[in-house]
Amino acid sequence: MSEGMRVEPDLNFIKYLKSAGGDSVKKCFQCATCSVVCPLSSDGNPFPRKEMIWAQWGLKERLAGDVNVLLCHQCGDCTAYCPRGAKPGDVLGAIRAYAYTHYGFPQGLAKMCSSGKNFPLLLGIPMVLIGLLWFLSGGMHVPSVEIFKEAGFGHFFGEGKVLGGLLTKNVAFIDLIFLPAFAFAAFASFKGATAMWNKMSTSVNANQDYRPSAKQFVTEFLLPSMVETLQHKRFNECGTNQNRVKGHLPLVLAFIGLFIVTNYAFIVKDIIGYFVEGLHGPIAMGNPIKILANISAIAMIVGVGILWANRSNTEESQGSSPTFYDWFLIGVIMAVGITGLGAELIRLLGIPSFAYFFYYMHLVSIFMLFFYMPYTKFAHMVYRTVAMAFERYRESGFVIKAD
Amino acid sequence: MTDERSASGAGGVLVVGGGISGLTTALEAAEVGKDVFLIEKNPYMGGRVAQLNQYFPKLCPPSCGLEINFKRVKNNRKIRMYTMTEVQSVSGSAGMYQVTLETRPRGVNNNCTGCNACVEVCPQERDNDFNFGMDKSKAIYKAHEMAFPMKYVIDAQACDKCGKCVEACRYNAIELDMAAKTMTVDVSSIVWATGWNPYDPTKMENLKYGSSQAIITNMMMERLAAPGGPTDGRILRPGDNKEPESFAFVQCAGSRDENHLEYCSYICCMATLKQITYIRERYPEARVTVFYIDLRSPGKYEKFREKLMADDKVTFIKGKVADIIAEDDGGVTVVAENAVTGEKVHAKVDLAVLATGMEPAGQAAAAKVGVDMDSNGFIISDAGKGMFAAGCAKKAADVVTSTQNSTAAALKAIQASR
Repeated sequence: MSEGMRVEPDLNFIKYLKSAGGDSVKKCFQCATCSVVCPLSSDGNPFPRKEMIWAQWGLKERLAGDVNVLLCHQCGDCTAYCPRGAKPGDVLGAIRAYAYTHYGFPQGLAKMCSSGKNFPLLLGIPMVLIGLLWFLSGGMHVPSVEIFKEAGFGHFFGEGKVLGGLLTKNVAFIDLIFLPAFAFAAFASFKGATAMWNKMSTSVNANQDYRPSAKQFVTEFLLPSMVETLQHKRFNECGTNQNRVKGHLPLVLAFIGLFIVTNYAFIVKDIIGYFVEGLHGPIAMGNPIKILANISAIAMIVGVGILWANRSNTEESQGSSPTFYDWFLIGVIMAVGITGLGAELIRLLGIPSFAYFFYYMHLVSIFMLFFYMPYTKFAHMVYRTVAMAFERYRESGFVIKAD
Repeated sequence: MTDERSASGAGGVLVVGGGISGLTTALEAAEVGKDVFLIEKNPYMGGRVAQLNQYFPKLCPPSCGLEINFKRVKNNRKIRMYTMTEVQSVSGSAGMYQVTLETRPRGVNNNCTGCNACVEVCPQERDNDFNFGMDKSKAIYKAHEMAFPMKYVIDAQACDKCGKCVEACRYNAIELDMAAKTMTVDVSSIVWATGWNPYDPTKMENLKYGSSQAIITNMMMERLAAPGGPTDGRILRPGDNKEPESFAFVQCAGSRDENHLEYCSYICCMATLKQITYIRERYPEARVTVFYIDLRSPGKYEKFREKLMADDKVTFIKGKVADIIAEDDGGVTVVAENAVTGEKVHAKVDLAVLATGMEPAGQAAAAKVGVDMDSNGFIISDAGKGMFAAGCAKKAADVVTSTQNSTAAALKAIQASR
């Protein structure tokens, strides 16, 4: 690195970092305290000292292919011990925000999700889309209290069956909105994660002739990383911001719980419901699945609430800048939790008009959470897991032998 | 209460602090005919310089320089010198300050000849602060080998007034019931030469000072290397007296750090380079590693640095030590990232020296009487008020710079008192 490296700084990239919470990047004087106090930094490949100078120099390509940026959990120890107030933790957060946009597919959508200026659009698109389908479905009117009590939100997108009686109209509309949205987000994530993996492989000079099979990739690299993520092992090694685990863990468990509930509902209502009548009303409160759903909803609100408080504290105590990147995710998850639980409670109180409005906003916020997932902070779910898999790959025979 | 007022309107100067800066200021002012009150908090003059083994870059002992100044002070009737004395309050304004001074009881009067008979019979011990607690002295003690004034002193906290020293003293020099004294002096201007303290190493939690005896500060290193120090100049590891085979120097320990001292303490790089010469002299085979952010050896000190950087026993690693781990064998492992290779370094050494910086020592005294300080606690000179800072009370500096700005402070004090 020392001999004859020509630095071609990308000034716009540096400007972007400064706007995305990395405003302190230029204060770094390369003392390397951060790399030593970081509980996640390894001996052979310490960070974030070198990432800081790459960021100062505007070397965005190098940073985009740097696994360490994603291994960082923003524990905050580096920021606490930094002698210059350069806040390496915040700078790496800003680089991650950049990376998600960089790898985002399609680019236009990714760029739209990277700036708070576009928030009206980000909110408006699902509001209009779902609103329009709601209008077209013919279900856009407040039901009577009696029908609402019996059917719940089952008539939100109208009554009756479609596709030759295959699905209820309501389920069909929900599937029509969300299945393509989920599929698209999954495809975009796959594309982004693949691009990142390839970039990282190039940056460590991995031997492209000798690559892991899909099975090896999953069993040796991906699954252990997912297990490690669920156990919050690295989070627990954090020093300064360690209490974020208290928010993140319930949140992750809530997502898993709600994933199970959604799949149950999908199977029961959309598949079994095809053969058996009467499965389309609300699930009874005593049903174990309903209990799981309610516990998960509360865990979600509590978890994201803790993270919310934590982020506010960090901004106050460490002087971190509030960023769209951080607050969009916290805000949307909070919205999903509040509108979901709110819709349920108002349904139980028997006020259809309010309940319908909450349900509509619930659908909008879920759409925002998942459709924009590959480009917002929520993308860490994909990219960090893949990066942790890459870290295992980097340490494995596939890369070491190539050197 | 005694009144020791200089003749009204004579425009005396009060110099607070009797280290190299205070001595210089006092002498420069007195030798052009000003009346000077020179007060020192410690029982001896000479301040931090008296604790050094050698000056850089010429590597001469501090007796060179201090002794000449002591002689000049002794011979100059214009200087009235008080040890164990601090400022209590200041009233008045530029040109006519009334300053109340308080002198703690020394317990030993001017009859003392320094014969040491008292020490031989004293049953009580105290941690010797002159050697940073690395050895003990008796409750009655001589501050150090070349203490000036050459008078013993009693540590009031350690003394149980058993009276054995009084019996042993043939000169009636010991007064166990000596009382504190206050006096008021009239002066035209005040020079603060309150010096510096080594930054408290326990404040850097990650450097774990106190977790191992193998972690010392650079000022402790000076005492270990000094002929009158706790090990008579052999550099031995505190605790087990091992002759260290490897050393690590931890630069910027607390300096250039917003969480500690935000400024560069100026002397620590040169102090480390100097201390490497102590090591090379005593242990020619010892391995020395210096961990630094930048090496700052300004001006003529560059040559000194170049010579040591050419030494193949000494390794310089760019990267700040941010963790020190105590090891079972009594040594420590220092951890840093080598910013040139991009890899972490775990260096196991027998002795780690924290190059701690300078914290201005006069902050409490200055705050008490309302003297202006900058955000780091350095005193700001104000000619209009007749208040001046000299030496390290003004800024972190080496001895040469301190004596230069002390001479300047003396001139300003003279001008302000006309």
